Amino acid sequence: MAQERTDEELLAAYQQGDPEAFESLLRRYRAPLFTFLLRMLGDREKAEDLAQETFLRIVKGASDWEHRARFQTWLFTIARNLCVDQSRRDRFRRADSLDAEGRDGEPPMVESVPGTGIDPERGAASARIRPLLQEALLSLPAEQREVFILREQAGVPFREIAEMIGVNENTVKSRMRYALEALRKALAAAGVTEEAVTEEPVPGIGLGRA
Amino acid sequence: MTHAESHDLLLDLAYGELDAVRAAEVEQHLSSCPECRKEKAALEDARRMAAPIRELEQPSPGFDERILRAARAQAQLEHDGNVGQVIEVTGSVRPLGVDVARIDAHGPVKARSAERPRPRWIVRTAVAGSVAAAAALALVVGNTLETRRNAEKVAAAHSSDFEIRVQPAVPPVVDSALRDAEAKQRQKDEIEPRGLGGVPVAAPGQEKTHDAVAQMPSLRKRGGPGARMQGSGGDAAESQAKAAANAKKERAVDTVAPAASGALEGKLSEPPPSASPPRAAESPPAGPAVAARQDVARSLAVAKAQAPMAPGVAEASLGAPTVEANAQQARHAGNYLAAASLYREAAAMRQRGNDSSTAAWNLAHAVECLSAAGQFDEARKVRDELVRSYPSETTAISAAARALRQVDVPAARPAASDPQR
Repeated sequence: MAQERTDEELLAAYQQGDPEAFESLLRRYRAPLFTFLLRMLGDREKAEDLAQETFLRIVKGASDWEHRARFQTWLFTIARNLCVDQSRRDRFRRADSLDAEGRDGEPPMVESVPGTGIDPERGAASARIRPLLQEALLSLPAEQREVFILREQAGVPFREIAEMIGVNENTVKSRMRYALEALRKALAAAGVTEEAVTEEPVPGIGLGRA
Repeated sequence: MTHAESHDLLLDLAYGELDAVRAAEVEQHLSSCPECRKEKAALEDARRMAAPIRELEQPSPGFDERILRAARAQAQLEHDGNVGQVIEVTGSVRPLGVDVARIDAHGPVKARSAERPRPRWIVRTAVAGSVAAAAALALVVGNTLETRRNAEKVAAAHSSDFEIRVQPAVPPVVDSALRDAEAKQRQKDEIEPRGLGGVPVAAPGQEKTHDAVAQMPSLRKRGGPGARMQGSGGDAAESQAKAAANAKKERAVDTVAPAASGALEGKLSEPPPSASPPRAAESPPAGPAVAARQDVARSLAVAKAQAPMAPGVAEASLGAPTVEANAQQARHAGNYLAAASLYREAAAMRQRGNDSSTAAWNLAHAVECLSAAGQFDEARKVRDELVRSYPSETTAISAAARALRQVDVPAARPAASDPQR
């Protein structure tokens, strides 16, 4: 029954001193948040670190939280900002950066191994495509990548993405179009056809909640 | 709808962000615009190809642990300024022959270094069958965590050869979370900085003292357990409070050592499930247990002198904040039984003041303290009373249940708007 509470109700309960409400939020968002960061960074260890850091910031900030923005938006905003920071730190070591669009030179490192153990239910095609997809994602300019992942994987609406990253909605959608087109080309170049992926698009998490 | 408008909205359509009316308008345009249809098909192709991105990945199994620890600690801080929950740490307490101490952050307050007041982790041990040892250890471990110097003082004071090594199982990041939270809490409540031994140190400013003294008459009138513990009441109490409020750190530290030995010996000789608050002035000082009581009384006097007046307290429950402050103080000093009594008293006062939320929380704290003292039967009784009297206070009930290691919390949902404080 705790599952039926909205994110915001859970956070309000946590503000009142109920740690179990926070546990519910954590259960609800640990995988989506981790996945978001993994797609952004391509590195499980870093993704896990930043996901923990994100939740700890939620813990710290919970008492000041007001029910203006959705919890989910807050969560992903923190995570996204941590990615930007991480990217700045990595700038000296990596060609890839959130603030330096389409940097020259070396291809981005793909440190991620696609999951420990592949869920059989995910289907062979999907399992085969995911590493390619991750690679294609990391080849995107970071500003396109974040928009794409926020919308496609995290399920954040365009308007909220615009608020999160501080640009207008048209810019967000423009980046999204570029990202989709670039991914389509990259995957096609890697031999992935749309027929290979059989799943129907489904809405990302968060749609229709609160 | 124009072609340009429609084209702009194709993404929104693909992601289901259009309301039904707008979606129908775009669809209508699509039926007559091959270019837009092509664009839409390309978007959908790309989404299908990218579908695996939505599959969730799981972080490693230990992922939640430190987050939850921080969350629980913070939740408790939010409520009463204490770090909550019993937290397992590894430790070694040779004289007691135990290897794992269980740390209750409700224990004595610590300051990790003189220049940097720290969060209030600390301490109790729930060593089975040894309440007295637990109480003594609580103080000693607490001090060990604070400063080595202070720990040595305590150990020397009752000439035991204690060697305690406790590794706080608190990662730096959680620690910093708590530090921030506590800083905030301090601002909020204007609680005085706390001394090394977990005993409050007098504020350098004078206003606090005046405030505290100004509260004394109401204390005397109400004659709650706080006033009884004070000993005499009247002018003596007032001057005692003044003196305590002016006490320096050294004195605060001095208080700890005998309190520690008192906790050991006193509780060995007197382990009642619901000990009534000690009455320092009524019995002549004889033996360590009594000495300990006097120390409790003294530290409570300090607490009383510094108890901040809760804002917006109804006239009917004027003394409750003070009793609660005393309870908290006793808890910090490791005197869980006294703390539990005080919390129960405060709960009754809050109930008379129709503040059922705070009353419920006081009962929850009483349950926690009784559990910390190993008085589980009594703790369950209070828990039952809490559930019976305040069935809608589910967060408090949860807290009590957790203290008893029972997570079978009742089903009622706390109202999101219910103000806790």
